[in-house]
Amino acid sequence: MSNQSTNPSALAGTVLNIQRYCSHDGPGIRTNVFLKGCSLRCKWCGNPESIRVKPELSYDPKKCKGRECSLCLKDPFPKGAFYFTEGEEGPVKVNWALTSSCDQMLCSLCPTGALEMYGKKMTVDEVLAEVEKDESIYRSTGGGITLSGGECMLQPDFSAALLKGAHERGINTAVETACNVPWANIEKVLPHVDTMLHDHKLTIPERHKKWTGVGNERILANFKKAYETFPNTEFIARTPLIPGVNADEEHIRAVLAFIRPHKNVIDYELLPYHRFGLGKYESLGVVYQLDDYKTPSDEVVKHLQAIIDEAFGRTAKKDPLEK
Amino acid sequence: MVGAGFVPGLNAVIKGAALAAGRLGWEVAGIRDGFEGLLHPERYPEGGLLPLTPQLIENLDPAASGVLGQSGRIDPFNVRQINADEMVEEVDKSDELLAKLKAEKIDALIAVVGGQGLTILYKLHAKGLNTVCVPRAIENDISATLVSFGFNSALSFTIEMLDKARQAAQAARKIAVVEVLGAQTGWLALQAGIAAGADAVLIPEIPCDLKKVAARLKEKMTNRRSYGLVVVAEGAKLVANTKAKTDQPPADSLKASLSPLATGDNSAHVIQRSGQAADMVATGLQLQIAEETFPLVLGLWARCGVSTAVDRQLGLAYGAGAVQALNSGQDGVMVAFHPPHIKFVPLAEAINKVRTVPAENEFLKTALSLGICLGN
Repeated sequence: MSNQSTNPSALAGTVLNIQRYCSHDGPGIRTNVFLKGCSLRCKWCGNPESIRVKPELSYDPKKCKGRECSLCLKDPFPKGAFYFTEGEEGPVKVNWALTSSCDQMLCSLCPTGALEMYGKKMTVDEVLAEVEKDESIYRSTGGGITLSGGECMLQPDFSAALLKGAHERGINTAVETACNVPWANIEKVLPHVDTMLHDHKLTIPERHKKWTGVGNERILANFKKAYETFPNTEFIARTPLIPGVNADEEHIRAVLAFIRPHKNVIDYELLPYHRFGLGKYESLGVVYQLDDYKTPSDEVVKHLQAIIDEAFGRTAKKDPLEK
Repeated sequence: MVGAGFVPGLNAVIKGAALAAGRLGWEVAGIRDGFEGLLHPERYPEGGLLPLTPQLIENLDPAASGVLGQSGRIDPFNVRQINADEMVEEVDKSDELLAKLKAEKIDALIAVVGGQGLTILYKLHAKGLNTVCVPRAIENDISATLVSFGFNSALSFTIEMLDKARQAAQAARKIAVVEVLGAQTGWLALQAGIAAGADAVLIPEIPCDLKKVAARLKEKMTNRRSYGLVVVAEGAKLVANTKAKTDQPPADSLKASLSPLATGDNSAHVIQRSGQAADMVATGLQLQIAEETFPLVLGLWARCGVSTAVDRQLGLAYGAGAVQALNSGQDGVMVAFHPPHIKFVPLAEAINKVRTVPAENEFLKTALSLGICLGN
């Protein structure tokens, strides 16, 4: 969460990563700033390292030198957090339940870099300094900064200051959000947003709760209020398309019925599910729960995209599978 | 307190502890559903704590489970909840738990837990909880004891089911590939496979070459014996992972919006779904032999039924042993069975150790003597 400060540029937030040259999260070429912390627990999540608000340990066993190093078995590392199984060679093992006291300082003691922390505190100025590096690219492509996550609305003061700072520098702004936050958070951030990408994950509240941890009643109310309160903001609806969860006509049509009355919702994008994040689950010691789920077939995606194109009255069809 | 994971006959441990404590004049109460009864007493109109009175204990069936229930999660350091703002979060309720134990005037906690539960109780002990743990593991994978509570009942049930699978294979003239519990260790598969007369037993400790299993099956199968039984622990691995590549394109070929930091597919840390090992072996064998294979999955069935005589005795002994530990001033320990003795092992020494099947184990030698293929 962001610190309260009288100087907005000195506000600090927990940033997971800053990724340059992104092309799918808003117009043009963009710099995505991923903030840490999410208020949903989507079972398909491809960014598990973004879920917890606090910085957390990551471990890459491929970098570990094993017994010949063994530094993490000694002070000041927490007792029992790292261990070897008797008679077994290979990288150190992690008892994740005992790693909660690990921090950046401890990780820096790991000589191979196998131990790292996901997430660090950064000020608005520090983030904007990174973002500004590609200002010329933004100008030539119509790009800018996109705040993503996690859920960027969980750090509303930090996000608002960041986007306001970007606007002051003439940089286009976008946020990617699921809007499962109090309206007050959204109200702080949206005045500084040019484009809001927002997820319609599931339509039926019970199913939304099953797959994400909470119902979607408040989320839908937030979407509607956002469309109406900020008529000059562009909204792009999105659905991470997962067979067996939401990759069906019923969901797509329900979303279209929800968004089409609002003219500032300019598009609806499908994001075919992919098992991108599995390696990261391992590095966090977390079990991935969607092992059996597959990428939707091209036929399904194209069929659903055609429904969207028709609803938007487009003659030139979009290809969500475009590489 | 009973941790996550159903095991038949848990009442035996509860009865053992309550009887031994009663003889010392101690008052004993059980916490319902893991720590839920303490952390959420409002969910229990009859009370989150169950007084284990002499009358209740007298009539408690030691072969049955359920008097205290259990919880899917018992980690008070990491409790998932929906907060007042309807947002999902994980919070540390360990201080709240310790305060509630104190408020209820609970001086010590006996916890019946598996491997992960031992770490949680170790952390609570480090924060001042007076505790003794009883090892409970279907897979018998807790290293600090020779036998964990629950293993013998699961073994007995698994043998019974393997016998039936064998009969089914015989009747159908096919090869049954039966998956049994054992993600990390192969004790259950190995011991049950020997007892049921399996043709092959595949365990996580010995990477398996399916060609060798297929060759052995071909040797053993004749016109007069046209069936087979292969037992597979759910964590069994192949020497060369011949699993077909998925039909998914490389990570950078689609929009990366769902996972912008993607580094590629890595299947090392996904849930090994029940049935995956049986499918893998049955399919792999089918490619190499003419006879038809069919996968069967025992999975959670092995946690069902009534407890065996061995587990009933062990449970009573573990329960009484936990009280003995507390009475002798030991806490932060796990009760362990090292025949013929009940011993107490510090929790710090009990965690982080998995009891795997060693290469020179007698059960392995027995299996080889009986002509059971281990896939190596």
